[in-house]
Amino acid sequence: MNFDAYQGLPSADGGVAPDLVNAPMIRHWCEAMGDANPAYTGPDAVAPPAMLQAWTMGSSGRSPHYDALLGGLEQAGYRSVVATDCEQEYLRPLRIGERVLFDAVIESVSAAKRTALGTGHFVTTRTDLRAYDEAGGEKPDDATPLGSHRFRILKFTPAERPPAGSEGEQPRPLRPRPVVNRDNAGFWDGVAAGELRFQRCEECGTPRFPWLPGCNRCGSDRWRAEAASGDGVVYSRVTVHHPMPAAFGRPYAVALVELAEGVRIVANVVGVPPEQVGIGTPVRLGFQRFDEELELPVFHPGGPDRLPPLRVPLTRTLIVAGAIASRDYQDVHHDAELARVKGAPDIFMNILTTNGLVGRYVTDWAGPDARVEAIAIRLGVPAYPGDELQFGGEVVRRSDEPAGERVELAVRGTNRLGVHVSGTVQVLMPRKGEHA
Amino acid sequence: MSLHRADALGGRAAVVGIGATEFSKDSGRSELKLAVEAVHAALDDAGLTPADVDGMVSFTMDTNPEITVAQAAGIGELSFFSRIHYGGGAACATVQQAAMAVATGVAEVVVCYRAFNERSGHRFGSGLQARQPSAEGAAMGWTMPYGLLTPASWVALHAARYLHTYGLGPEVFGPVAVADRRHAATNPAAWFYQRPITLEEHAASRWIVEPLRLLDCCQETDGGQVIVVTSLERARDLPHPPAVIAAAAQGAGRGQEAMTSFYRDDLTGLPEMGVVARQLWRTSGLRPEEIDTAVLYDHFTPFVLMQLEEFGFCGRGEAADFAAGGGLELGGRLPVNTHGGQLGEAYLHGMNGIAEGVRQVRGSSVNQVAGASKVLVTAGTGVPTSGLVLTADR
Repeated sequence: MNFDAYQGLPSADGGVAPDLVNAPMIRHWCEAMGDANPAYTGPDAVAPPAMLQAWTMGSSGRSPHYDALLGGLEQAGYRSVVATDCEQEYLRPLRIGERVLFDAVIESVSAAKRTALGTGHFVTTRTDLRAYDEAGGEKPDDATPLGSHRFRILKFTPAERPPAGSEGEQPRPLRPRPVVNRDNAGFWDGVAAGELRFQRCEECGTPRFPWLPGCNRCGSDRWRAEAASGDGVVYSRVTVHHPMPAAFGRPYAVALVELAEGVRIVANVVGVPPEQVGIGTPVRLGFQRFDEELELPVFHPGGPDRLPPLRVPLTRTLIVAGAIASRDYQDVHHDAELARVKGAPDIFMNILTTNGLVGRYVTDWAGPDARVEAIAIRLGVPAYPGDELQFGGEVVRRSDEPAGERVELAVRGTNRLGVHVSGTVQVLMPRKGEHA
Repeated sequence: MSLHRADALGGRAAVVGIGATEFSKDSGRSELKLAVEAVHAALDDAGLTPADVDGMVSFTMDTNPEITVAQAAGIGELSFFSRIHYGGGAACATVQQAAMAVATGVAEVVVCYRAFNERSGHRFGSGLQARQPSAEGAAMGWTMPYGLLTPASWVALHAARYLHTYGLGPEVFGPVAVADRRHAATNPAAWFYQRPITLEEHAASRWIVEPLRLLDCCQETDGGQVIVVTSLERARDLPHPPAVIAAAAQGAGRGQEAMTSFYRDDLTGLPEMGVVARQLWRTSGLRPEEIDTAVLYDHFTPFVLMQLEEFGFCGRGEAADFAAGGGLELGGRLPVNTHGGQLGEAYLHGMNGIAEGVRQVRGSSVNQVAGASKVLVTAGTGVPTSGLVLTADR
């Protein structure tokens, strides 16, 4: 079946957001995302930029062409849907009391493609949004451009899942366990408490790692545990290729990190490809949960052009609350049984929540005065409940503009299955001493 | 041996017999059978019988108890039996133990053995899965959850720092592999007999644990190797010229770990081999330039370079140039691993290297260094280790 004919037709015509931009929806969004940015509260509150699409959800204005396209795809057997890309550009802040208007066009419908999920068609739509201050007495004709939103979904037929009991259903291979005994239990107590603890001799003051019951310098058995500051530098590093432990699955870096306190520890540097872990790379301590039992100290690339890591536990609550806060009532985001019928093992996070978390991650770093101008993300592996999303990011470009410093960031969010989201974010940072 | 003064062991004992099974990838028989066969081969070579043996030494990693090898090999009462720890680091120490037993009269003829099916049975390179919560287990436990699970990975973490410190690339390990394989190519006992490699092949081989490539890693072998030690006096009555144990030493460094010594010093050397080197030079009275040929433990190529520096064959950071100029090959400044090493001949936890040292002293190596009379042999690197200086009886 040929779906080319839909290209260029409107997918929404004269769309009107059902609600004015309002504090309760913003608050629900921020609660769901865990976003404490003060710019989103108080009398001068602006809406979180990543919330852009949430205002248009559930509105009137969807065109018959778009319904016909989706219906045709359903009839052709492509019954499942997943969002794969979201690119948003924010031309100006959106304030409480404004009404959002929008028009959208079907940009493209791909030929049938085989993907890891199954065979399907990618459908890309582009939405242009405007808004006017309805509460302040403005009329629709006063609306000024707000931003744009390009969205790509895959309508697909799920790939055959292996029958229960076959290889595909076997438990995920786990990492080797740490070896815990009476001499080093204090280290693992520290990990449980979110600290990387080393020992310090109470006789001669020498710090030591690994944990031992006595000091190699002076022989004293008196010591205390201290928490590392978390700053370190890669002292040596390897990339393991063979044999490949099943729990790792692809080449991975193992680093020997020298901590600021002068002791060394072996760990993984996460959030970047192995080849980017170089000797001398500054790193920053984090913690990562790998399975129900295993949480380990890990390191993230540090330094001025690195964003500090952010760990977001993927609770069922976050996934459902994020879907509701973005007005996305697709059953795969809240109903595990229906999600399974559609080929997923459980509910999974919707792309708008992922987008919101990316926005939060960047503004946590950039501060409330920074203006997010664009977020473009691509989804990789799904985010299921019980996992953890680890965000990492780096500055890839800085440029001086009249309005401030424009910073382009590369952001990645990984979970146990791999890279869940990767993308770029553009932020306008106010000059020091100035406020946006 | 002593850290501080020359010891009294030098010149008291000698290697009089060497014997091995074939080196294969699937021996088709038990590790005990391999040990017993090698014992008989070595005793035959020495011109001795099982009835002459009263001492036995092996590795803690060996699965064959001394008493069981003795039982199956026709050996009777034993007055001395001992095992050395730390994997391949035990190799030369078995001969040291034997020499001490012989020099003190605790035993008269001591058999040192190592036999395993390391390729067809338990492969050391397959990676750790779990460890008991003993002190040794806990030491490995710091790296296991992060996927640092194999000897190659532990060595690579040292090698990466070495390369970084001296501004070198992983291609500098190539000449070590090429020299070993060139020597193996002319050794009919070697697994890689008639199969030399080039630097280009080394550089094109796949990564195992970056910066180590496949051709930086020793092979895996099924086989057994035995060394027979007795007093120098008795050795002079036996068929082969004695390989005199001019010096023998063990060494462990400060802050030493079994293979994960990542937390000490600058990671560019092998301090435990430095301990061995100081003792060997002091007790033998020899200097590096007097050594005719060396068997340097080569489970992984980077540690061959570091050994050249620890023993003073060249300065710190200069071993890559030493090797690149053909220094390790026959006719070079220090022909190394003339049997092909563990990369080329067989991986017998260093025991086959001791046998090659003996052949060089006897003048019977397939890659004989003309007039060789002073040979250095080392044991496992990156672990608590040992070494020997073997000399002709002149």
